[in-house]
Amino acid sequence: MNASPSAGAAGTSGTTAGPGTQPAGRRARAAAIGALQAALAAEHAAVYGYGVAGAHLAGTRQAAAIRYWAAGQAARDTLAAMVVSRGATPVAASTGYRLPFAVHGEQSAIALAAFLEDRVTAAYLTLVALTDTKLRLFGARGMQTAALRAAWWRGQTLAFPGLEVPAPGPVAAGAGGGQPSPGQSATGGTSPTSPPTGPAGG
Amino acid sequence: MAREATRRGVLAAALALPLAAGGCKGIGALGTPPRPLPDVAVVREAITDETLMIARYTAVLAAAPALAGSLRPLLGQHQAHLARLKARLVDPRAGSEPPLSRPHPQVPGTPAAARAYLRGAEQAAAQALMGRLTAASPSLAQLLASIAASEATHALLLGPHRRTG
Repeated sequence: MNASPSAGAAGTSGTTAGPGTQPAGRRARAAAIGALQAALAAEHAAVYGYGVAGAHLAGTRQAAAIRYWAAGQAARDTLAAMVVSRGATPVAASTGYRLPFAVHGEQSAIALAAFLEDRVTAAYLTLVALTDTKLRLFGARGMQTAALRAAWWRGQTLAFPGLEVPAPGPVAAGAGGGQPSPGQSATGGTSPTSPPTGPAGG
Repeated sequence: MAREATRRGVLAAALALPLAAGGCKGIGALGTPPRPLPDVAVVREAITDETLMIARYTAVLAAAPALAGSLRPLLGQHQAHLARLKARLVDPRAGSEPPLSRPHPQVPGTPAAARAYLRGAEQAAAQALMGRLTAASPSLAQLLASIAASEATHALLLGPHRRTG
Protein backbone atom coordinates (compact mmCIF):
# COMPACT_ATOMS: atom_id res chain seq x y z
CA MET A 1 0.00 0.00 0.00
CA ASN A 2 1.65 3.14 -1.15
CA ALA A 3 0.26 6.34 0.23
CA SER A 4 0.14 9.16 -2.27
CA PRO A 5 2.14 12.34 -1.58
CA SER A 6 -1.01 14.04 -0.34
CA ALA A 7 -1.65 11.23 2.11
CA GLY A 8 1.86 11.45 3.43
CA ALA A 9 1.45 15.17 3.98
CA ALA A 10 -1.83 14.62 5.77
CA GLY A 11 -0.51 11.86 8.00
CA THR A 12 1.15 14.17 10.49
CA SER A 13 0.15 12.30 13.63
CA GLY A 14 1.77 9.06 12.65
CA THR A 15 3.72 8.62 15.88
CA THR A 16 2.26 6.40 18.58
CA ALA A 17 2.97 8.64 21.57
CA GLY A 18 2.26 12.31 21.92
CA PRO A 19 -0.92 14.14 21.08
CA GLY A 20 -3.08 11.15 21.90
CA THR A 21 -2.27 11.42 25.58
CA GLN A 22 -4.33 14.58 25.95
CA PRO A 23 -8.12 14.31 25.94
CA ALA A 24 -8.43 17.03 23.28
CA GLY A 25 -5.79 15.38 21.13
CA ARG A 26 -7.48 12.03 21.58
CA ARG A 27 -10.82 13.46 20.58
CA ALA A 28 -9.33 15.09 17.50
CA ARG A 29 -7.66 11.85 16.51
CA ALA A 30 -10.87 9.88 17.02
CA ALA A 31 -12.73 12.40 14.84
CA ALA A 32 -10.04 12.15 12.16
CA ILE A 33 -10.18 8.35 12.21
CA GLY A 34 -13.97 8.37 12.00
CA ALA A 35 -13.96 10.72 9.02
CA LEU A 36 -11.22 8.76 7.25
CA GLN A 37 -13.12 5.51 7.83
CA ALA A 38 -16.29 7.04 6.37
CA ALA A 39 -14.38 8.14 3.26
CA LEU A 40 -12.79 4.70 3.03
CA ALA A 41 -16.20 3.00 3.27
CA ALA A 42 -17.52 5.24 0.49
CA GLU A 43 -14.53 4.38 -1.73
CA HIS A 44 -15.11 0.66 -1.04
CA ALA A 45 -18.71 1.07 -2.20
CA ALA A 46 -17.62 3.05 -5.27
CA VAL A 47 -15.12 0.38 -6.30
CA TYR A 48 -17.87 -2.24 -6.03
CA GLY A 49 -20.40 -0.05 -7.83
CA TYR A 50 -18.08 0.79 -10.72
CA GLY A 51 -17.64 -2.93 -11.25
CA VAL A 52 -21.40 -3.19 -11.74
CA ALA A 53 -21.75 0.00 -13.80
CA GLY A 54 -18.80 -0.77 -16.05
CA ALA A 55 -20.41 -4.02 -17.18
CA HIS A 56 -23.32 -2.05 -18.68
CA LEU A 57 -21.26 0.64 -20.41
CA ALA A 58 -19.27 0.83 -23.62
CA GLY A 59 -16.74 3.05 -25.31
CA THR A 60 -15.72 6.29 -23.59
CA ARG A 61 -18.07 5.65 -20.70
CA GLN A 62 -16.75 2.19 -20.00
CA ALA A 63 -13.19 3.50 -20.20
CA ALA A 64 -14.11 6.17 -17.64
CA ALA A 65 -15.74 3.58 -15.37
CA ILE A 66 -12.59 1.45 -15.50
CA ARG A 67 -10.37 4.44 -14.80
CA TYR A 68 -12.50 5.59 -11.86
CA TRP A 69 -12.69 2.02 -10.55
CA ALA A 70 -8.87 1.97 -10.46
CA ALA A 71 -8.75 5.47 -8.96
CA GLY A 72 -11.12 4.31 -6.24
CA GLN A 73 -8.78 1.47 -5.40
CA ALA A 74 -5.85 3.87 -5.14
CA ALA A 75 -7.87 6.24 -2.93
CA ARG A 76 -8.86 3.28 -0.79
CA ASP A 77 -5.20 2.37 -0.26
CA THR A 78 -4.34 5.96 0.60
CA LEU A 79 -7.15 6.23 3.14
CA ALA A 80 -6.37 2.84 4.67
CA ALA A 81 -2.75 3.91 5.16
CA MET A 82 -3.90 7.11 6.83
CA VAL A 83 -6.14 5.13 9.20
CA VAL A 84 -3.30 2.73 10.03
CA SER A 85 -0.92 5.62 10.71
CA ARG A 86 -3.38 6.77 13.39
CA GLY A 87 -3.34 3.40 15.13
CA ALA A 88 -6.71 2.11 13.90
CA THR A 89 -7.78 -0.79 11.72
CA PRO A 90 -9.20 0.27 8.34
CA VAL A 91 -12.79 -0.73 7.68
CA ALA A 92 -13.06 -3.64 5.28
CA ALA A 93 -15.21 -3.76 2.17
CA SER A 94 -18.55 -5.51 2.47
CA THR A 95 -18.92 -8.75 0.57
CA GLY A 96 -21.85 -7.21 -1.28
CA TYR A 97 -23.69 -3.92 -1.53
CA ARG A 98 -27.36 -3.24 -2.04
CA LEU A 99 -27.68 -1.02 -5.11
CA PRO A 100 -29.99 2.00 -4.78
CA PHE A 101 -31.87 0.85 -7.89
CA ALA A 102 -31.69 -1.95 -10.41
CA VAL A 103 -28.97 -1.53 -13.02
CA HIS A 104 -29.98 -3.07 -16.32
CA GLY A 105 -28.56 -0.80 -18.97
CA GLU A 106 -26.55 2.21 -19.89
CA GLN A 107 -28.76 4.91 -18.37
CA SER A 108 -29.09 3.20 -15.00
CA ALA A 109 -25.34 2.46 -15.02
CA ILE A 110 -24.62 6.17 -15.55
CA ALA A 111 -27.08 7.04 -12.78
CA LEU A 112 -25.32 4.58 -10.48
CA ALA A 113 -21.93 6.11 -11.24
CA ALA A 114 -23.26 9.60 -10.44
CA PHE A 115 -24.83 8.28 -7.24
CA LEU A 116 -21.55 6.67 -6.15
CA GLU A 117 -19.61 9.87 -6.70
CA ASP A 118 -22.24 11.90 -4.81
CA ARG A 119 -21.77 9.58 -1.85
CA VAL A 120 -17.98 9.81 -2.03
CA THR A 121 -18.25 13.61 -2.17
CA ALA A 122 -20.44 13.63 0.95
CA ALA A 123 -18.02 11.32 2.77
CA TYR A 124 -15.03 13.57 2.07
CA LEU A 125 -17.06 16.54 3.29
CA THR A 126 -16.79 15.09 6.81
CA LEU A 127 -13.01 15.49 6.65
CA VAL A 128 -13.44 19.18 5.88
CA ALA A 129 -14.98 19.74 9.33
CA LEU A 130 -11.81 18.55 11.10
CA THR A 131 -9.50 21.02 12.79
CA ASP A 132 -6.40 19.41 11.27
CA THR A 133 -5.81 21.76 8.34
CA LYS A 134 -4.01 19.19 6.20
CA LEU A 135 -6.88 16.72 6.54
CA ARG A 136 -9.33 19.54 5.86
CA LEU A 137 -7.62 20.37 2.56
CA PHE A 138 -7.23 16.68 1.72
CA GLY A 139 -10.99 16.31 2.22
CA ALA A 140 -11.78 19.36 0.10
CA ARG A 141 -9.61 18.05 -2.75
CA GLY A 142 -11.27 14.64 -2.48
CA MET A 143 -14.66 16.35 -2.70
CA GLN A 144 -13.66 18.16 -5.88
CA THR A 145 -12.37 15.02 -7.53
CA ALA A 146 -15.59 13.13 -6.82
CA ALA A 147 -17.83 16.09 -7.67
CA LEU A 148 -16.09 16.50 -11.04
CA ARG A 149 -16.73 12.86 -11.87
CA ALA A 150 -20.35 13.11 -10.75
CA ALA A 151 -20.81 16.19 -12.96
CA TRP A 152 -19.26 14.40 -15.90
CA TRP A 153 -21.56 11.42 -15.51
CA ARG A 154 -24.60 13.57 -14.95
CA GLY A 155 -23.78 16.23 -17.55
CA GLN A 156 -25.01 18.74 -14.98
CA THR A 157 -23.62 20.43 -11.93
CA LEU A 158 -24.92 20.75 -8.37
CA ALA A 159 -25.02 23.93 -6.29
CA PHE A 160 -23.82 22.19 -3.14
CA PRO A 161 -21.99 18.92 -3.86
CA GLY A 162 -21.64 16.80 -0.75
CA LEU A 163 -23.89 19.06 1.32
CA GLU A 164 -27.04 18.36 -0.64
CA VAL A 165 -26.97 14.90 -2.13
CA PRO A 166 -29.66 14.32 -4.76
CA ALA A 167 -31.92 11.32 -4.42
CA PRO A 168 -30.72 8.35 -6.46
CA GLY A 169 -32.41 8.19 -9.81
CA PRO A 170 -32.12 8.66 -13.53
CA VAL A 171 -29.82 11.33 -14.92
CA ALA A 172 -30.48 13.52 -17.93
CA ALA A 173 -30.18 11.87 -21.30
CA GLY A 174 -26.89 12.69 -22.94
CA ALA A 175 -24.93 12.63 -19.71
CA GLY A 176 -21.57 11.00 -19.30
CA GLY A 177 -19.49 11.49 -22.35
CA GLY A 178 -20.30 14.60 -24.24
CA GLN A 179 -23.20 13.80 -26.48
CA PRO A 180 -25.85 16.33 -25.58
CA SER A 181 -29.11 15.15 -26.98
CA PRO A 182 -31.59 17.42 -28.71
CA GLY A 183 -34.09 18.98 -26.36
CA GLN A 184 -31.81 18.80 -23.34
CA SER A 185 -30.01 22.07 -23.90
CA ALA A 186 -32.07 23.94 -21.30
CA THR A 187 -30.90 21.71 -18.47
CA GLY A 188 -27.30 22.81 -18.56
CA GLY A 189 -26.24 19.46 -19.89
CA THR A 190 -23.39 20.48 -22.14
CA SER A 191 -21.16 17.58 -21.33
CA PRO A 192 -17.44 17.84 -21.84
CA THR A 193 -15.79 15.25 -24.04
CA SER A 194 -12.96 14.26 -21.74
CA PRO A 195 -13.64 12.79 -18.31
CA PRO A 196 -12.11 14.80 -15.48
CA THR A 197 -8.99 13.54 -13.80
CA GLY A 198 -8.71 15.73 -10.72
CA PRO A 199 -9.45 19.01 -9.01
CA ALA A 200 -9.37 22.07 -11.23
CA GLY A 201 -6.28 24.18 -10.85
CA GLY A 202 -4.28 21.36 -9.25
CA MET B 1 -22.44 59.05 40.82
CA ALA B 2 -20.26 57.83 38.06
CA ARG B 3 -17.38 57.43 40.44
CA GLU B 4 -19.55 55.44 42.83
CA ALA B 5 -20.64 53.15 40.10
CA THR B 6 -17.07 52.58 39.09
CA ARG B 7 -16.10 51.84 42.68
CA ARG B 8 -18.91 49.34 42.93
CA GLY B 9 -17.69 47.67 39.77
CA VAL B 10 -14.17 47.37 41.11
CA LEU B 11 -15.53 45.91 44.34
CA ALA B 12 -17.50 43.31 42.47
CA ALA B 13 -14.46 42.40 40.47
CA ALA B 14 -12.36 42.12 43.63
CA LEU B 15 -14.94 39.78 45.16
CA ALA B 16 -15.12 37.64 42.06
CA LEU B 17 -11.36 37.14 41.88
CA PRO B 18 -10.91 35.04 45.06
CA LEU B 19 -13.84 32.92 44.01
CA ALA B 20 -12.11 32.08 40.77
CA ALA B 21 -8.73 31.59 42.42
CA GLY B 22 -10.24 29.46 45.16
CA GLY B 23 -11.20 26.70 42.78
CA CYS B 24 -14.81 27.68 42.26
CA LYS B 25 -15.37 26.93 38.62
CA GLY B 26 -18.36 29.22 38.24
CA ILE B 27 -19.32 29.83 34.64
CA GLY B 28 -16.01 28.33 33.56
CA ALA B 29 -17.50 24.91 34.24
CA LEU B 30 -19.68 25.43 31.18
CA GLY B 31 -16.61 25.17 29.01
CA THR B 32 -14.32 27.50 27.13
CA PRO B 33 -16.10 30.75 26.36
CA PRO B 34 -16.62 31.21 22.62
CA ARG B 35 -14.02 33.30 20.90
CA PRO B 36 -15.04 35.86 18.34
CA LEU B 37 -15.05 33.92 15.09
CA PRO B 38 -13.03 35.03 12.08
CA ASP B 39 -15.87 33.66 9.98
CA VAL B 40 -17.46 37.04 9.34
CA ALA B 41 -14.43 38.29 7.43
CA VAL B 42 -14.18 35.04 5.47
CA VAL B 43 -17.87 35.11 4.60
CA ARG B 44 -17.67 38.73 3.46
CA GLU B 45 -14.77 37.90 1.12
CA ALA B 46 -16.67 34.94 -0.29
CA ILE B 47 -19.76 37.12 -0.77
CA THR B 48 -17.70 39.68 -2.69
CA ASP B 49 -16.33 36.96 -4.97
CA GLU B 50 -19.76 35.41 -5.57
CA THR B 51 -21.25 38.80 -6.34
CA LEU B 52 -18.51 39.44 -8.89
CA MET B 53 -19.07 36.01 -10.43
CA ILE B 54 -22.77 36.74 -10.84
CA ALA B 55 -21.89 40.07 -12.46
CA ARG B 56 -19.62 38.23 -14.90
CA TYR B 57 -22.34 35.77 -15.89
CA THR B 58 -24.86 38.57 -16.25
CA ALA B 59 -22.49 40.52 -18.48
CA VAL B 60 -21.71 37.47 -20.62
CA LEU B 61 -25.40 36.65 -21.00
CA ALA B 62 -26.04 40.21 -22.16
CA ALA B 63 -23.19 40.01 -24.68
CA ALA B 64 -23.88 36.45 -25.89
CA PRO B 65 -27.56 35.52 -25.37
CA ALA B 66 -27.02 32.31 -27.36
CA LEU B 67 -25.24 30.89 -24.32
CA ALA B 68 -28.30 31.25 -22.08
CA GLY B 69 -29.21 27.56 -22.24
CA SER B 70 -25.90 26.41 -20.81
CA LEU B 71 -25.13 29.40 -18.57
CA ARG B 72 -28.42 30.05 -16.79
CA PRO B 73 -28.27 26.87 -14.66
CA LEU B 74 -24.75 27.79 -13.57
CA LEU B 75 -25.79 31.36 -12.80
CA GLY B 76 -28.69 30.01 -10.74
CA GLN B 77 -26.25 27.95 -8.70
CA HIS B 78 -24.08 31.00 -8.05
CA GLN B 79 -27.17 32.82 -6.82
CA ALA B 80 -27.83 29.89 -4.48
CA HIS B 81 -24.22 30.13 -3.24
CA LEU B 82 -24.63 33.83 -2.56
CA ALA B 83 -27.91 33.33 -0.69
CA ARG B 84 -26.38 30.61 1.48
CA LEU B 85 -23.33 32.75 2.26
CA LYS B 86 -25.48 35.77 3.12
CA ALA B 87 -27.55 33.60 5.46
CA ARG B 88 -24.36 33.11 7.46
CA LEU B 89 -24.29 36.77 8.43
CA VAL B 90 -26.55 37.97 11.21
CA ASP B 91 -25.23 41.50 10.78
CA PRO B 92 -28.12 43.61 9.49
CA ARG B 93 -25.65 45.69 7.46
CA ALA B 94 -25.13 42.64 5.26
CA GLY B 95 -28.15 43.55 3.18
CA SER B 96 -26.89 47.03 2.43
CA GLU B 97 -23.43 46.24 1.16
CA PRO B 98 -21.91 48.98 -0.97
CA PRO B 99 -22.15 48.04 -4.62
CA LEU B 100 -19.07 46.68 -6.28
CA SER B 101 -16.75 49.18 -7.85
CA ARG B 102 -16.97 47.23 -11.12
CA PRO B 103 -20.51 45.90 -11.34
CA HIS B 104 -20.26 45.42 -15.10
CA PRO B 105 -17.06 43.57 -15.93
CA GLN B 106 -15.73 43.74 -19.46
CA VAL B 107 -16.33 40.36 -21.05
CA PRO B 108 -15.37 38.81 -24.41
CA GLY B 109 -18.00 39.08 -27.11
CA THR B 110 -17.72 35.74 -28.86
CA PRO B 111 -19.36 32.68 -27.25
CA ALA B 112 -16.19 30.59 -27.26
CA ALA B 113 -14.11 33.33 -25.68
CA ALA B 114 -16.85 34.08 -23.16
CA ARG B 115 -16.98 30.45 -22.08
CA ALA B 116 -13.20 30.37 -21.70
CA TYR B 117 -13.36 33.59 -19.69
CA LEU B 118 -15.97 32.16 -17.31
CA ARG B 119 -14.08 28.90 -17.08
CA GLY B 120 -10.97 30.74 -15.91
CA ALA B 121 -13.01 32.77 -13.44
CA GLU B 122 -14.60 29.62 -12.01
CA GLN B 123 -11.23 27.95 -11.57
CA ALA B 124 -9.82 31.02 -9.84
CA ALA B 125 -12.87 31.28 -7.57
CA ALA B 126 -12.57 27.63 -6.54
CA GLN B 127 -8.90 28.13 -5.76
CA ALA B 128 -9.64 31.26 -3.71
CA LEU B 129 -12.17 29.35 -1.63
CA MET B 130 -9.68 26.55 -1.03
CA GLY B 131 -7.30 29.18 0.30
CA ARG B 132 -9.91 30.32 2.82
CA LEU B 133 -10.76 26.89 4.20
CA THR B 134 -8.27 26.86 7.02
CA ALA B 135 -9.42 30.23 8.39
CA ALA B 136 -13.03 29.10 8.65
CA SER B 137 -15.00 27.31 11.36
CA PRO B 138 -15.78 23.65 10.60
CA SER B 139 -19.30 24.22 9.28
CA LEU B 140 -18.32 27.26 7.21
CA ALA B 141 -15.35 25.30 5.84
CA GLN B 142 -17.80 22.64 4.66
CA LEU B 143 -19.94 25.22 2.90
CA LEU B 144 -16.91 26.83 1.25
CA ALA B 145 -15.54 23.44 0.17
CA SER B 146 -18.91 22.52 -1.31
CA ILE B 147 -19.10 25.81 -3.23
CA ALA B 148 -15.51 25.31 -4.41
CA ALA B 149 -16.42 21.86 -5.69
CA SER B 150 -19.47 23.30 -7.44
CA GLU B 151 -17.35 25.95 -9.13
CA ALA B 152 -14.80 23.36 -10.19
CA THR B 153 -17.61 21.42 -11.88
CA HIS B 154 -18.80 24.62 -13.58
CA ALA B 155 -15.31 25.00 -15.03
CA LEU B 156 -15.53 21.42 -16.29
CA LEU B 157 -18.80 22.04 -18.09
CA LEU B 158 -17.50 25.29 -19.55
CA GLY B 159 -14.53 23.46 -21.03
CA PRO B 160 -14.06 22.61 -24.68
CA HIS B 161 -16.77 20.22 -25.80
CA ARG B 162 -17.72 18.37 -28.91
CA ARG B 163 -19.38 20.49 -31.53
CA THR B 164 -22.39 18.86 -33.09
CA GLY B 165 -22.61 20.48 -36.48
